[in-house]
Amino acid sequence: MRSLTSSSATNRKGPGLTPVNDTGAPVGLQPVKQRRLAPGKVLSNALLIVLGFLFLAPLLWLLFSSVDSNAGPSLKWPHFTFSNYAAVANASTFTALENSTILAGIATIVATVPAVLAAYVFSRHHFPVKNGILLTIVVLAGVPINILVIPVFQAFSNYGLLNITATAFFLGVTSLPFEIWIIKTYIDAIPPDMEEAARLERANVMQTILRVIVPMTLPGIVAAAIFGFINAWGNFLVPFVLLSNPNEQPAPVVMYQFFGNAHVAWGSVAAYSVLYALPVLILYIAIARLFRGGFSMAGAIRG
Amino acid sequence: MTSVALDSNEVRAEDSRTPVGPRLDKARMSWTSIPLLSPAFILLAVLFIGPVVFSIYLGFTNLQLVGPHSLYYQVTGTENLSRLVHDTTFRQSIVLTLVFVLGSAVIGATVLGFVLALAMQSSLALIRGLVGVIVLVAFMFPPIVVSLCWIAATRPGGIFATLTGSSGGLLLTQPLLVVSAANAWNLAGLAMLLFSAALRNIPGDILESAKMENASAFQRLMKITLPMLRPVFVTTMLLMTLLALANFTVVYIMTNGGPGTSTMIMPVYSYVQGFNYNELGYGALIGNVMVLLAALLSIVYVRVSRSSS
Repeated sequence: MRSLTSSSATNRKGPGLTPVNDTGAPVGLQPVKQRRLAPGKVLSNALLIVLGFLFLAPLLWLLFSSVDSNAGPSLKWPHFTFSNYAAVANASTFTALENSTILAGIATIVATVPAVLAAYVFSRHHFPVKNGILLTIVVLAGVPINILVIPVFQAFSNYGLLNITATAFFLGVTSLPFEIWIIKTYIDAIPPDMEEAARLERANVMQTILRVIVPMTLPGIVAAAIFGFINAWGNFLVPFVLLSNPNEQPAPVVMYQFFGNAHVAWGSVAAYSVLYALPVLILYIAIARLFRGGFSMAGAIRG
Repeated sequence: MTSVALDSNEVRAEDSRTPVGPRLDKARMSWTSIPLLSPAFILLAVLFIGPVVFSIYLGFTNLQLVGPHSLYYQVTGTENLSRLVHDTTFRQSIVLTLVFVLGSAVIGATVLGFVLALAMQSSLALIRGLVGVIVLVAFMFPPIVVSLCWIAATRPGGIFATLTGSSGGLLLTQPLLVVSAANAWNLAGLAMLLFSAALRNIPGDILESAKMENASAFQRLMKITLPMLRPVFVTTMLLMTLLALANFTVVYIMTNGGPGTSTMIMPVYSYVQGFNYNELGYGALIGNVMVLLAALLSIVYVRVSRSSS
């Protein structure tokens, strides 16, 4: 790619000029073709193919096994069937996925709404020891939350809080520091002109946040919210310890029961995994779309 | 609040000798900050700082999961600490955690992510696209699904067991290597993203001019690319280390810390002490060591990433 975009001709011209080649035609119109395959390129491609296969093999196994009537630990072409999906498409699976959705949904709201408000203050307001508090929040984001499961278990059982709502609140709070950080960087990037305009029209702080800040940083807020959702959706240990009622257990905890059996039903557990992992993949694609779309902010301020 | 500031500004402009209102040359605290910050602060205080502090306390008690000490527990002073110092499994778990973090985060994910990002720079678009998607999907998978894929792949007959010629299953013969590889497989996508972005930011004309002076590809890598990426290497390594330290699920589900105690990294040991051996107080103390370690690393991470940006 590099040889296409920057031929040696572009270097001889000063910056800011349209890149042209020796004949004066724009470079982009006459791509310089690589005549021979450089050994470095062969090496790169070969390396990528080998590494790509090592990364692909476990993924492919999961996909194949989920539609294989004779699934085992080995990677092989499946005897195609949907019976694995039919086997796990039952009430308990749907309850577990529903619980995961409730857990992750509550956690997302618990983390994102306070994070927007706090991020706004950290970005725009001044108060004593702001940087110290900000540093503390970043350090908190690095604390492994799985380690906190013992004190949280003890505290929750003392107060009779071993239920899905309290667990969701805890999972939400564990994403809160990182979400504040992400959203703050987005608000930092907004020029203050729009808020000043809102202020001149006597908008109060809440109106400014809801009508100006939130619409302008929506991609960042959605990205932070998706992070919070995925974080709660994927966590195994916290619901595993805190939720003992089978009607409240989310998908990963239910899925772990598949592992305990002496004879693992590989096909069913693979199908279950696909159902459980699919929402996460879709959400990541949504994040990627958001970032590719960029911001509509540039046009908001003219002159 | 700010409209007041604007008004006083006008007043001051009219009569500059007697300044009215608060001084404007210094940033002032806005009282609206408090209601806006309080939801986040209350939540963090109750459900994040609270558990950290409570854990410090529990670490010095004889709290148990079941039995008389589950309800009536008390501070036992330094009893847990001296037990920790003499605990050979804990000492082993420190070593295992270091090997796991070095192997999976520093060497595994960081180097793998860098190699992938570098190879992608000079590869065919089709291969780059395909491998990129595969590596990122591996990164997106929830930990329990990562565990499942790797349990299958390393069982007898599984793809990695077959490739390495293992007949008895890799989880029994090379458990620490397998869980480290699984974790590196999971994290490499993030490292790849960070390195790809950094590689794109290396100005092309520097590499181009080195090329014109007949620098070999290896020389360009060693003298230009690697030195310019040094800050990204440091931050990526620290981030991967933090993520690997926090890893409980992949190791616990794949091995339960075993066979024996051969994959008993600290988070798993903390859980096993707390919930399998009923020693919640002692488990909390092991957890506190982890929190301390992660907080220190996290501070280093913030310092380093600030000074490099």
